[in-house]
Amino acid sequence: MPKFTALILSFFLILFIPQLVQSSKIFPYDYKIEELENGLKVISIPLPNPNIISYYTIVRSGSRNEIEPGKSGFAHFFEHIMFKGTKKVPREAYDAFLTKLGAGTNGYTTDDYTCYFVVFAGRENLETVVETEADRFINLYYDEEMIKTEAPVIEGEYYSSVSSPERRLSELLRDTAFEKHSYKHTTLGYLKDILDMPNQFEYSQLYKKRFYAPDNSILLVVGDFDHNQLMEYVKKYYSSWEKSNYTLQTPEESAQTQAKRAHYDFPTKTLARITIGFHGPSYSDEKIDKPALNLLAEIAFSPSSPLYQRLVIEEQKCLSLSANFSDHRDPYLLIFSSIIKKDEDLPYVENEIFKELERLKNEPVSEEILSDVKSNLKYSLANELGTTDGVAGALAFYISLATDPETLNKLFDLYEKVTAADIQEMEKKYFQKTNSTVVTFTGGKAK
Amino acid sequence: MIYFLFGIFFLGLFLMNISCAKVNPKKLSSELLPLEGNPLVSFRILIKVGSANDPVDKEGLCQLAFSMLSNGGSKTMTFKEISKKFYPMDASVSLSVDKEMSVFSGTIHIDNLEKYYAILKEMLLNPGFREDDFNRLKTNQLNFLEKTLASNMDEQFGKEILGLMMYEGHPFGCHGAGTVETLKSLTLDDVKAFYKEHYVQGNIIIGLTGGYPPDFPSKVAEDFSSLPEGFTPRLKLPEQRKPEGLEIVIAEKQTPATAISMGFPLPITKASDDFFALWIAGSHFGEHRQHVSSLFQKIREERGQNYGDYAYIEHFVQGRDKFPAPNYSRQQQYFSIWIRPLANSNRHFVIRQTLRELKKLVEEGISRERFEMVRTYLLNYTKLYAQTLSERIGWQMDSHYYGYKDFLAETQNRLSKLTQEDVNRAIKKYLNFNNISIAIITEDAESLKDALVANTPSPISYANPNMPKRILEEDLVIQTFPIDVKPKKVRIALASDFFQKKGIPTK
Repeated sequence: MPKFTALILSFFLILFIPQLVQSSKIFPYDYKIEELENGLKVISIPLPNPNIISYYTIVRSGSRNEIEPGKSGFAHFFEHIMFKGTKKVPREAYDAFLTKLGAGTNGYTTDDYTCYFVVFAGRENLETVVETEADRFINLYYDEEMIKTEAPVIEGEYYSSVSSPERRLSELLRDTAFEKHSYKHTTLGYLKDILDMPNQFEYSQLYKKRFYAPDNSILLVVGDFDHNQLMEYVKKYYSSWEKSNYTLQTPEESAQTQAKRAHYDFPTKTLARITIGFHGPSYSDEKIDKPALNLLAEIAFSPSSPLYQRLVIEEQKCLSLSANFSDHRDPYLLIFSSIIKKDEDLPYVENEIFKELERLKNEPVSEEILSDVKSNLKYSLANELGTTDGVAGALAFYISLATDPETLNKLFDLYEKVTAADIQEMEKKYFQKTNSTVVTFTGGKAK
Repeated sequence: MIYFLFGIFFLGLFLMNISCAKVNPKKLSSELLPLEGNPLVSFRILIKVGSANDPVDKEGLCQLAFSMLSNGGSKTMTFKEISKKFYPMDASVSLSVDKEMSVFSGTIHIDNLEKYYAILKEMLLNPGFREDDFNRLKTNQLNFLEKTLASNMDEQFGKEILGLMMYEGHPFGCHGAGTVETLKSLTLDDVKAFYKEHYVQGNIIIGLTGGYPPDFPSKVAEDFSSLPEGFTPRLKLPEQRKPEGLEIVIAEKQTPATAISMGFPLPITKASDDFFALWIAGSHFGEHRQHVSSLFQKIREERGQNYGDYAYIEHFVQGRDKFPAPNYSRQQQYFSIWIRPLANSNRHFVIRQTLRELKKLVEEGISRERFEMVRTYLLNYTKLYAQTLSERIGWQMDSHYYGYKDFLAETQNRLSKLTQEDVNRAIKKYLNFNNISIAIITEDAESLKDALVANTPSPISYANPNMPKRILEEDLVIQTFPIDVKPKKVRIALASDFFQKKGIPTK
């Protein structure tokens, strides 16, 4: 009989998703939002079927918050420090707790937020998870020596991707395109700052005080639990967490008035690459600009777009061609990238990308194309929301931007309203050559 | 509601049993997991051939042939037209090719099932085999070998060198993409011939799960029954060669960091009773990207040497998040250790430290406390393996490959019955610390070779001036830990020379 029991168990891991594509709202699940007196926002999405709970803590601090010189990469470094334990539950005990729980657990840091997740089976484990996670965020304990031991791990993480052209490309694009804003550096940070991390114990305390606070954090819990039970635990264990009241002022980037360029020779053999960034707007679920641009990225550069089909499939000049207009809290870049099969085709591909952007300023997109793109975005989200952890993962990103799951519905409502004229207007507004940064990349001759 | 769900469950079991009752090896089979009401449908079309089926001197053919189906046009539509049709549905067809199996997979919303399947069917059953698709896909595969694998992805490169070392002269001994030499020689006729020979009913398992209509599986089965009957006999693999002593290959390139992979063949797979005991040992020693691992604790957590250090008792491909991807099943498996890149200055120390930890594992085994902890960990962690539809049906297919009704269910059963002694017996029986293949990507290879051969002390320094005494004392032991490296067992090659031809290049 044990086989049979386990079969039932694994069967119920599958999430029964509502028919979100027909739903009036794109985010189809009921959710509840409560806020503790200390400002900690709790978003809970109980789901009826699965035996799994995804427990996410979102700290609205990422590399955007690294505004002082010499501190690049610190948000990511602090994510590592967060696994050092407390006096009550030291690191070894915390590791043992997660091990026995058999949880899928980790953290990740982005430009705008840092996310910690514990994905585990069994609602009977919920209270222990709430208690342990609350203790970690309220009573984190580490000393200077622990900082000095952990810092080289970041250097190791830097080395893990040292042979990746994409990382170098991203570093160079940001560094060239931004003058003042902290988006100038990547989440990993500059190597010189990484090498100085062992000496940053004092700053780490300041960083924690500023940003690891309930008024800068959100708890997101999705899966098999009872909301009232969850709130009882949350109030019990998180209420003593003290507010920060710190307000971050990120440096404002001046408007770019001249086209910029950079080139990098990668030491070893590699395919040529180009990436082009234009300064764009920040995320908004109220203004049409960013949603219209998101649609434009798909219209102009998705695999069904004329340019992709020509350069990748017909002419076979490019291995890939894509646009990435990722949503950010502050104005970020609208990025186009391509991997090119022959170095000598770099100028041609660059020219074709700019030509396509000019063409779209003058030729409105058809209703059919617009409708295809809107359809793609809906079904893409439907696929993403197929598991409890898919729901939590997708939502973590949006609530880091706007602190409320409703933002997803508002964003998709805006997508529906975007017209061909809106897209043309955004083309003219953002895609000026003087607002562009081009970074090219060729493989070196080294062995 | 409960009755309803149980009804679906038993229907699933019933259909699964029907699908398992395969009697004719020349005919199609299927794996079904219907989930009524689920708005998604996942396909996994598994072909029981992989890169080990590539004809001699045509290595890379299986991957190229099957990518012509997943990324090329059908007879009725060009790939350009397919891309345009797929886009509004957010649809795609993915391909994975391993040594002995290949899988076409895709997940689609039920709204689009009919439209998607109509195209998928044409792609898989009526491929266009156009010259322009062939040129595009062959060039992409060549670019991967010539300008990506050895130069842009050192972590993967290290694992691939280890594969070449362990399987020299064996059907597993070539990268799935082939070599530059063999790939350049492939023609469209080769692709068609491979397809004709292997794309036959008996080689195909149709995996379907999700909220598809009840009559959908029979419709799919009928369509795929248009393929010729037949099957490719399962490969009769030669016995795996055990490394003799420490066999080292150093791929030399300009790099600030050293990547290391090491391993040796194992005589067991998931099908073996001993697998479960060895699984606990592997998880204890190096569970993939989890703090539970002792290697991770020693190298990363205590000493901050790199980003992570892991060990595996079978071929491992990371799927969603950090979980193993299904459908990489093999008749023969291997044990491996993956040391993520670390500063060149510490490479010798960490090679010593890894081998010393492995020696301790083999000689001392696992403690009762660790045994209990890791077993509990695996009992819970494996409940998270199959969350998506595609994972569910993939694990179901793997279960049947290894002779289980439900491998993840069996895991709960088998792990619960194990003892510490079972695990320590498995460690002694299957693991060793003397006969290992070691792949290293680094610069200044000769000096590393000299240091390894001469057993030169390899002290390291720390940013933390107050490292715990316990660690510093252990470091004194590690930095002179003797490892027996014979000069003739160390091969050095330029990184850029790998994958040009079959085997390990020479400098």
